[in-house]
Amino acid sequence: MMIINSRRRAACLAATVAAAALVAGCGNNGVASTSAGGVVQLTMLTGFTGPDEPSYQALVAEFNKTHPDIHVTMTAEPWATVAQKLPAAWATGGGPDLATPSSDPGSIFNYIKTNSVLPLDSSVGTGDDQIQSAAFPTAVRNAFTVDGKLYAVPANMATLVLYYNKDMFTAAGITAPPKTEADFIADAKKLTVSSGGKVSQYGLSLADNNTIQMWPILQWMSGGDIVDAKGCGVVDSAASVAALTQWSQLVIQNHISPIGQAGADADTLFSSKKAAMEINGPWAAAGYKSAGINLGMAEVPVGSAGPVTLASTVPLMIERNGPHTAQAEQFLAWYTSKTAQLKFSQVSGFPPARTDLGSALAGNATVSLFAQALPYAKLYLAGLSQSTAIDSDVYVPMIQQIERGANVQSAASSANQQIDKLTGCTS
Amino acid sequence: MATSETLTRRDAAERHMTLTPTPGPGARRLVRMAGKLGGTLSWLIVVLGAVAIILPFLWMLGVAFRTNPDLYGDPARLWPDQWTLHGVRAVLDQLPFTRLIVNTFVFAGGATVLLLLFDSMTAFALARLNFRGKNVLFVAILATLMVPFQVTLVPVFLTIYHFGWLNSYQGLIIPRATSALGIFLLRQFFRQLPRELDEAARIDGAGDFTVYWRIIMPNAKPVLATLFIIQFAALWNDFLWPLVISSQTRMQTLPAALTLFSSQSGVDHAALMAGAAISLTPLAIAFLLLQRYFVQGVATTGIK
Amino acid sequence: MATTTLKPSSGPPRRRSRRRFNSAYLFVAPSVVIIAVFIAEPIVQSAWMSLHDWTIGAASNPFTGLANYRSLWHDSRFWNALRVTLIYTAAVTVGQVGLGLAIASRLRRTTWYSSLLRTAYFFPFVASLVVVGIIWKFLLDPQVGLIDAWLGDLGVGNPPQWLQSTSLALPTVIVVGIWKNVGFTMIVLLAGMQQVPADLYEAAMLDGAGPWRRFTAVTLPALRPALLFTTLIATITGLQLFDLVFAMTSGGPVFSTESVVMYLYEKGFVEFQMGYASAIAWVLFIIILAVSAVQLRVARNRDGD
Repeated sequence: MMIINSRRRAACLAATVAAAALVAGCGNNGVASTSAGGVVQLTMLTGFTGPDEPSYQALVAEFNKTHPDIHVTMTAEPWATVAQKLPAAWATGGGPDLATPSSDPGSIFNYIKTNSVLPLDSSVGTGDDQIQSAAFPTAVRNAFTVDGKLYAVPANMATLVLYYNKDMFTAAGITAPPKTEADFIADAKKLTVSSGGKVSQYGLSLADNNTIQMWPILQWMSGGDIVDAKGCGVVDSAASVAALTQWSQLVIQNHISPIGQAGADADTLFSSKKAAMEINGPWAAAGYKSAGINLGMAEVPVGSAGPVTLASTVPLMIERNGPHTAQAEQFLAWYTSKTAQLKFSQVSGFPPARTDLGSALAGNATVSLFAQALPYAKLYLAGLSQSTAIDSDVYVPMIQQIERGANVQSAASSANQQIDKLTGCTS
Repeated sequence: MATSETLTRRDAAERHMTLTPTPGPGARRLVRMAGKLGGTLSWLIVVLGAVAIILPFLWMLGVAFRTNPDLYGDPARLWPDQWTLHGVRAVLDQLPFTRLIVNTFVFAGGATVLLLLFDSMTAFALARLNFRGKNVLFVAILATLMVPFQVTLVPVFLTIYHFGWLNSYQGLIIPRATSALGIFLLRQFFRQLPRELDEAARIDGAGDFTVYWRIIMPNAKPVLATLFIIQFAALWNDFLWPLVISSQTRMQTLPAALTLFSSQSGVDHAALMAGAAISLTPLAIAFLLLQRYFVQGVATTGIK
Repeated sequence: MATTTLKPSSGPPRRRSRRRFNSAYLFVAPSVVIIAVFIAEPIVQSAWMSLHDWTIGAASNPFTGLANYRSLWHDSRFWNALRVTLIYTAAVTVGQVGLGLAIASRLRRTTWYSSLLRTAYFFPFVASLVVVGIIWKFLLDPQVGLIDAWLGDLGVGNPPQWLQSTSLALPTVIVVGIWKNVGFTMIVLLAGMQQVPADLYEAAMLDGAGPWRRFTAVTLPALRPALLFTTLIATITGLQLFDLVFAMTSGGPVFSTESVVMYLYEKGFVEFQMGYASAIAWVLFIIILAVSAVQLRVARNRDGD
């Protein structure tokens, strides 16, 4: 009897294993079928997990309301997570229909290389249901056009401005935000308060990693730069080295800023009233205001090279092998249309990603401030396919080294060599 | 089998020490005092060590209820001066809480139960049965322990995709339903169980499966409990795997959602710590309730 | 129909062995299938990838043979990562096992306070590495962290910036690694200690052995298997260091905490060079195998059997 039991049990086991094997291949990867009453379901993966997420969700909700036959669901996850999941997901055609792969516009190159994204030129035009790419800021359109094809639209458009804490300014006897670089430096020093070697208030909150970059602005102010138009490194130019030396000395000797801050740390330092100034983008305004800061915003101080600031834009792209690319293109067309961009600006404080809406937003002070900077805002490492590698492998370590007292000239020279090696520059 | 050193034993040992030639009574007393002092000192260190171990968690709890200005204003304090529930509220508001807990339980619980079953079956075969390729199989299984997860992440993802198992419970659970560590521990344990148990059963006519199910498994309760805790904790805390397999929020697990609070636009410390505390709590409770079994269980695995 | 008679375990009799073989294979089937499909095959596939210039979904993935491995040999960033990983592993293994041993021997009693302390030491085990990393990152933060604040209150002028300093970051990560795992080691060693028969100690005491001598002569030898186990596990997990540095330092500052797996992640998931990343993974795999084999061999030699 026992053996029969045992044999029966063994047979049960075999059956279970076989059944499990059959289950394989019967799934559909959880993709919702399109025939949910004829409404096409689109998924959109973004990295907008900050206090500005509601603005994007509001936009998506508006689209869903006005387009009853398409329903877009937007999810937000940390950028690092998006970067991990998206490549394989899109290469297999099983990922989200739309996504912002990274806050770095240079990230599009990898997806283009893997044939994962849809070129959008077929839906570009001047009509209401077409992507009106002619209205994009030129730098943005150029950044998203590779080999003559447009691969992404701007999910947002941002410029960096100077945020400052009015109360701290008053306490230090400064009546107006700095207009020139000289004022900027003097104010930063004055606003750094320390007692007994411990700093209780920093003049400027600088971040050097995991951030929309601020240090390039400090170089640009004096005419320095990181790469030139040909992609060759110019980080060790005289102007660049001078700027980097000056600002790193301010950090090391005058302690105007902590070192080693990630973008999020820098933001929180300012919002917790431990720093008097920070260079940041439109996404931060809402958070700062709700933190109870007597907030002031001004243009980035002007250096010897004239007014300059950093522009940043997040690419929004369509999965090439997705089932509903036509509807996804429709969404992008609507997203970048005048009505949508106007609404988005009003709700989020971001400048619109269109150059033909200036007058409509003149009344909104916040938006105007950011939009004003658009003409002279530069994209960081624009249009280089190796921008991600240059940023994480060369630029960030270089800044970190000079913040800790390394010789600026030699750090910059070695960084230059590395950049040239990455971009293949031979001059 | 716990050996407890009682005071009498130590005294006995010290008394026995006097059998060997030692310096005079004064020196002896000195040595004893030094011994006791050393003993107290080491106790002090151990207690301080335990405090140091727990302190980060206490701090985490404190921060979960502090406002950011409070935290930046006086970081030296452990407890909040300005209390706020906004951290907890942020966690609860921004996450579909019940769904996440259910998913995490189904994933961690389901995978662990299957794992215990499959691992013990394999361990039984390795420990008690003979078949060709037994040793090769064991070594191969051990070798898989040494491969970092990131190596296989992309190929496994592609495999799951081809099965159509993305965003599904089976996709989450089945690849995790067996563990090399579990097989190893169980095999060690089974090898130690006296063969007479098996033999007695077989004489009564039991086949392999009955021996497995009726004899070996009931005797393995402590090690099964141990393995359950280790694996459940590991799966509960696994954030990368569910994140990759389930792109849809409705299928996500709790730890993955925790990373949402470390966004690019400012760190919400209270929410972050509240999220950390919340994701720790179920495991902490389970641990506190089951930790006696755990110590017992590890003892009986007889790591040999 | 009846039954199985018993034979000594030198090997089953031929005829019956066929039936027993079958059921043995059934027993191992589920685990083997899962491991084969979801672990072994991907390992092989990633080895295949390492021989190519592989980007997922790219138009073509040219076969490059050992080119990836050759570049790796000349890659100074890889050697840095290897250095970081080896230092971390050695330090954490020694720290974890040494401290675990010391604490276990102190907390052997079954009194309520010993039990409480043991629970305290073990608690970090249930927290995920990501949670641990986040908590410690803020604990050590120069602005909001408890540690620097207390140091400041104690009069230390410029408290060290633990995770922002290129010289202190790795030691700090090591301490956190030990903190997380010492409880686990302690429990395993404690279990081993509790199995030492009491009469061995009595015999030692009768020989006039003091507490230290008893420890070295009785406890340590009995603990050899447990020590081997904990050392092996600590080494294998140490060499795979990723979650902790990912959460605490992202490999910085200036690569001072970048472990091999972090570099692999960077190459594979940030720069999309899957072939190169797979090569890194395989080299690490070989290293782990080699180190483990050495440890096992040393242990076996010392055991003398």
